[in-house]
Amino acid sequence: MLQEESDLSLIIAQIVQKLKGSNLYSQLERQAWASLQRPEIKLESLKEDIKEFFKISGWEKKLQNAVYSELSVFPLPSHPAAPPEHLKEPLVYMRKAQGSWEKRILKSLNSMCTELSIPLARKRPVGEQKELLNKWNEMGTDEPDLSLFRPVYAPKDFLEVLINLRNPNYENGDSLSFRTHLGLIQVPLKVKDIPELKECFVELGLNIGQLGIDDSTQVPPELFENEHVRIGQKVLAQQDSAAAQQYIRQGSPTALRAELWALILNISSQPEDVLYYEQLKTNVIQHDLLVDSLIYKDVKLTASNDDYYFVFEDYLYQVLLCFSRDTSVLSHFAFNSASPPKSYIRGKLGLEEYAVFYPPNGKIAPLCFLYHEPSKLYQIFREMYVRFFFRLHSISSHPSGIVSLCLLFETLLQTYLPQLFYHLREIGAQPLRISFKWMVRAFSGYLATDQLLLLWDRILGYNSLEILAVLAAAVFAFRAVNLMEVTSLAAAEAVLADLSTLKVMPLLQIFLFATVT
Amino acid sequence: MSRVLVPCHVKGSVALQVGDVRTSQGRPGVLVIDVTFPSVAPFELQEITFKNYYTAFLSIRVRQYTSAHTPAKWVTCLRDYCLMPDPHSEEGAQEYVSLFKYQSPSVTFPKWLSHPVPCEQPALLREGLPDPSRVSSEVQQMWALTEMIRASHTSARIGRFDVDGCYDLNLLSYT
Repeated sequence: MLQEESDLSLIIAQIVQKLKGSNLYSQLERQAWASLQRPEIKLESLKEDIKEFFKISGWEKKLQNAVYSELSVFPLPSHPAAPPEHLKEPLVYMRKAQGSWEKRILKSLNSMCTELSIPLARKRPVGEQKELLNKWNEMGTDEPDLSLFRPVYAPKDFLEVLINLRNPNYENGDSLSFRTHLGLIQVPLKVKDIPELKECFVELGLNIGQLGIDDSTQVPPELFENEHVRIGQKVLAQQDSAAAQQYIRQGSPTALRAELWALILNISSQPEDVLYYEQLKTNVIQHDLLVDSLIYKDVKLTASNDDYYFVFEDYLYQVLLCFSRDTSVLSHFAFNSASPPKSYIRGKLGLEEYAVFYPPNGKIAPLCFLYHEPSKLYQIFREMYVRFFFRLHSISSHPSGIVSLCLLFETLLQTYLPQLFYHLREIGAQPLRISFKWMVRAFSGYLATDQLLLLWDRILGYNSLEILAVLAAAVFAFRAVNLMEVTSLAAAEAVLADLSTLKVMPLLQIFLFATVT
Repeated sequence: MSRVLVPCHVKGSVALQVGDVRTSQGRPGVLVIDVTFPSVAPFELQEITFKNYYTAFLSIRVRQYTSAHTPAKWVTCLRDYCLMPDPHSEEGAQEYVSLFKYQSPSVTFPKWLSHPVPCEQPALLREGLPDPSRVSSEVQQMWALTEMIRASHTSARIGRFDVDGCYDLNLLSYT
C-alpha cells in the first residue's frame, strides 16, 4: 500500500514538473491573474474561487487533458536506484542492439558524405535561400539529380537485425528443438494471446457497433451511425481527451476525425505553435542537410507514384524537412532507447545541434487527408510520431515496439493457424518476411485510405500498436486457403501483394471474436 | 529518521544440487546467496535493494541471535516472493527491486524485524469501514447473478462487470 502511494506521489511530482515548463502553465497563470478582477472572486476564499472559475470557464478541462496526455505518454516511475538508460529500456542486450543499429546508420550516412563529397550540413548562400523560400509551396516541381543518393537502409536490413537478436541468458541452441522458436524472432518477450487480446480490445466485439462495419450502406443509419455521430459531437463539445479516446475505439466519423485526433493528442493550435513551425521552416531555408536529399528522393519515389498520395507531395516535403530539424523531438527520446545521431553544423560557433534521423515518410501522407494547414499537420504528425511510430523503427522490449509486434504476429499465427504456419515455413516463406513491411509502415500505402484511417483510430483509442500485429495475422487468416496452395515465397507474396480491397474492421472482428479455436 | 547503507558482504552463489556437480548435465534451478554483516552493532533493517537478473522467485531467511544462552535460529522472512510473473518471458527479468520490512509476515518476525515504525504504518482505515448493509446488498446482487448464470449453462466468458446496477454482458441485462 505504501509503495503505491509513494509511486503515485512520484508520478504527480514528475507530471507537475513537466507541465510547469509548458505553455498551458503560463496561460493558466495569466487567467488566474485576470480573474482577480471578477466580482465572484473573494479574497478570503481566493483559492476555492479561482478553482471554481477554472472549472466553469473550461480551463480545468484543458488541464485535465494535459495531465491525461502526460499519463498516456509517460513511462511508469521506476526504482530510485535505476539509472536513466534503464528507464528507456530495462534489458541490457536490447540497449546494446539499438546502439549498434544506430552506429550502423550513422556510419552509412557518414560514408555517403565522404563518397559524394557532400557535407552532412551546410549553410545555404543567400541566393539559394531566397529561391527556396519562393518555391516553398511547390517543391515537388523540382527535378534535382538524386541518382547518386541511395537509401540509408531498407526494412529488410532492419528485419535482419531483429532476427539476430539474442538474449544471452536464454538457452536457445542453434539446432531446432522444442526450445527454439519456430518463427524468426528468437527473444522471449511476453505477448498477449487471443483471450487477453479480446479483453484488451473489448470494444471491437461482435455485439458493439463499429464504424467500418455498422455504417455500411446495407445497415440503416438509425441503428448505430446516427447515434454514434451525435455522441462524437458531444465529446468534441466537452473537449475531453479521455472521453474522446474511449469514443474513438468504435471508430471516428469522417467529419469529426481531424478534431478528435487533435483532441486526443492534446494539440491546440496556439499562435506559439505556428511560430514554432515558422522557425523550423527558417532553419530549413538557412541550412541544407544531407538528409534533405534523402528525404527528397524517398518522397519522389514513393508518394509521387502513389495514386492516393501524389497530391500531397508538396506537403510531405514541408513537413519532413522541418521534422528533421525539430530538436524538441529529442526530448521524447528520453524514454526511448534510441538516441538519434546528431550532426553539428560546421563553422557555427557554439553547439547547435540538428537532429539527423531517418525520416518516416509513409506515415505523413495519410494525415494530409485530414489536415490542410501546414503547422497543424506538422504538429499532428510530430505527436503521432513521438507517441507511436518511433517504436516501429527502434529496438526495444516495449509491448508496442516492433520486436514485440513481430513476436505477437508470429505467435498468433502459430497458435491459431498452425497448419498454415507450418506450410509457409516448409516452402521457405516465413510469414514475418511478408508481414514485416506492413507493420513497420503501420499499413500505410497498403490499405485503402479510409480503411487505414479507421485502423489508426484504434491505435489512438487503445494507445497501442498491437492492433497492427493482430491485423497482419487476420490478413493471413483471411487468405489462408490461397496460401495453403502456394509452393514458393514469391507466390505467397503475390497472394498478399494487394491489400487495397480489404476491410480492416470485419477482419479484426472475425479474427478476435469469431474464430473457433 | 535517517537511513544509512549497512556494509554487508555478499558471498558467491552456491547451487543447491543433489549429486556430483561436475558430472551431472542439468542446470540447477535454485541458488543460495549468503549475506553477512561484518559490523557488530545491532541495527534495524528497513530495506533491501538489488537488481534482478533472471531470478523468478526469492526467499529470504534470517539467522537470528536472541540471547547468549539460546542457540541462533533460522527464520524465514520471505518465501517464494515472485520477481518474474512469467519466468519464460522477459517481464521483471532485469528490474531493480526493493524489499521493505513490512512485507515480511508478522508471524515469523524475529525480534529485530518487529512492528513497523509508526510513521510507516499503512493507513488502511483512512476511509473508515464500509457500510455493512451496502456491502451485503452488493454481495446479494452478485450472488443472484451467479445463480442465473449457473442456471443458464453457458460457457461464454463474463468478463468484467460493474456493481452499480448496470451489467455489460452478452446474455443478461440487469437494470
